[in-house]
Amino acid sequence: MNTEIFIECKKASKSYRKGQNTITPLEELDLEVPKGEFLALMGPSGSGKTTLLNLIAGIDRPTSGTLIVGGEDLTSYSRSELTKWRSLSCGYIFQLYHLVPILTAYENVELPLLLDKSLGRKQRRERVESALDLVGLADRADHRPSELSGGQEQRVAIARAIVKDPGLLVADEPTGDLDRDSGAQILELLKALAEDYGKTIVMVTHDVLAAEAARRTLYLDKGRLSESGARLKGELA
Amino acid sequence: MIANLWSLLGLAFKQLSRHRIRSLLTVAGVSIGMFLYAAVETMQRSLNLMTESSDEDNTLVVYRKHRFCPMTSRLPERYVEDIRRIEGVVEVLPVQITVNNCGASLDIITFRGVPTDSLQSYNPNLEVKSGSYAAWQTRSDAALIGSQFAKRRGLEPGDQFEAVGVRVWVAGIIDSPEAQDNNVAYVGLPFLQQASNVGLGVVTQFNVRVQRPADLEPVAKRIDALFASDQDPTYTRPEKAFFAQTAKEMIELVGFTRWLGLGAVFAVLGLLANALLLAARFRAKESAIYQTIGFSQVSVGMIMVLEGALLGFAGGVVGCLSAALFFHWNRFTLGNEGLTLALSPSFEVVAYGLVVALVLGLLASVWPAWVSARKPIVALLRSA
Repeated sequence: MNTEIFIECKKASKSYRKGQNTITPLEELDLEVPKGEFLALMGPSGSGKTTLLNLIAGIDRPTSGTLIVGGEDLTSYSRSELTKWRSLSCGYIFQLYHLVPILTAYENVELPLLLDKSLGRKQRRERVESALDLVGLADRADHRPSELSGGQEQRVAIARAIVKDPGLLVADEPTGDLDRDSGAQILELLKALAEDYGKTIVMVTHDVLAAEAARRTLYLDKGRLSESGARLKGELA
Repeated sequence: MIANLWSLLGLAFKQLSRHRIRSLLTVAGVSIGMFLYAAVETMQRSLNLMTESSDEDNTLVVYRKHRFCPMTSRLPERYVEDIRRIEGVVEVLPVQITVNNCGASLDIITFRGVPTDSLQSYNPNLEVKSGSYAAWQTRSDAALIGSQFAKRRGLEPGDQFEAVGVRVWVAGIIDSPEAQDNNVAYVGLPFLQQASNVGLGVVTQFNVRVQRPADLEPVAKRIDALFASDQDPTYTRPEKAFFAQTAKEMIELVGFTRWLGLGAVFAVLGLLANALLLAARFRAKESAIYQTIGFSQVSVGMIMVLEGALLGFAGGVVGCLSAALFFHWNRFTLGNEGLTLALSPSFEVVAYGLVVALVLGLLASVWPAWVSARKPIVALLRSA
């Protein structure tokens, strides 16, 4: 694995107002993720895992601190700059797949490519077919999400996340809604994307077995991170 | 990032075509509203054509002073020679008019009695589509029927029909650039004078063609001055002003329909806005997906705007074309005081209706597009 730091988070805090109260799910958090690492984030509900994932994916911004991803300081980016960065550099995988229900698998995977005006129809088709092939769903390209199983839907979502070949993949409980076998297939796929294709992957999960697929696991509680290996193993034992 | 407009249009089209029932119902509603709008516009435009003066107008109508209905306007036929001698007058056509109804009516039957040797010289653009002009000139009870009138009544050359106590034989079907001609039955002047019991030598009006449009006013004044002290004084106006003043009831009726048209526009706007707003709320999750992938707020909003435009345009096409075909097939005419207003479909009304429908679609989608795109992704994902 490369030792170059891909994600660098320094004293990053996130707080927002809810009614009269100010909620701070993340407080002065430090995190470094090397390029090509498959990192799992664990923690109890409300610990700020998804908030951290959203910051890393550029769909939210820290209230204070710095966040550098792939050499780019996301904290200095405007909303539209973050949108552009996401379209080029980050693939997001949701727990509930979040495919557009009226589009076929092919059309869902093609969506990110529509943003690239330099790509013609033929080039888009090649890339979509290649991504669907990689996740093993080339034969289901014309199926709508409602015609696919949960595992297949998640694989389409992964194909959509990788079709533009971003350096970073973030996954929010990607196996949370799947049975054990389908979940295992998804984890194998993510593992291969990190190991064979050099993608940096940050995955939020509640599932210890899912976390084991990652190279490293961090535990987030009350807005603070800790190395979790010994603690988790101790808890499991 | 702002995606290619064609790509967004494709996505908008997929949203509509894959929510087929919802889209069809919305388009049906829009098309009904646009049908009504186009129908009203057709009436307005037909009326404008009949009443708005233009620089090319060169026809005057001489009527009996203080009379507004052809049944009460009686002028001596001999005036024709006096009028012809006035400087600037090119042609004079004495006309006896007999109608089945002087008030506003949807199916008016108008006979125009004119000298058979003068009609074609007065109106050289009049074309006999079928039948024979010569037969009309030689047979006393012969009639030349306007093409719209013939279609409305299903008449062909050789047929006979009776109305207002006048029985005629159809010698031919005529077509004329003047809409009025296409909705009347021309018969010989002496025949109509006798058949309608007004008596020989009496006419309803004189149609006077002047040399130049600038001659209209001075010639009208001279005609009225000439007969001012006569037993039957005259009131002369340009043909379109005559129509505008004489057919007041009809004009008021058509004017009222403007409100219906406006109502139809607001109904379409409300219907589209409601359908799109519901779609925007239903699609909060999709909006989050698009934005997470990298679609800008503008692009997400644009999909909604294009959906509105497509729905509006589709409804406009169906509604406006249906209205055009409806008027084309039914050939409605509104009649008042012996004047007829043919409600004719036109390309302009259809094209204008399509633009209105498109603009309504765009307007109706602005707020739903804003709703769809303004929320932060995190909030959208939380609500999904």
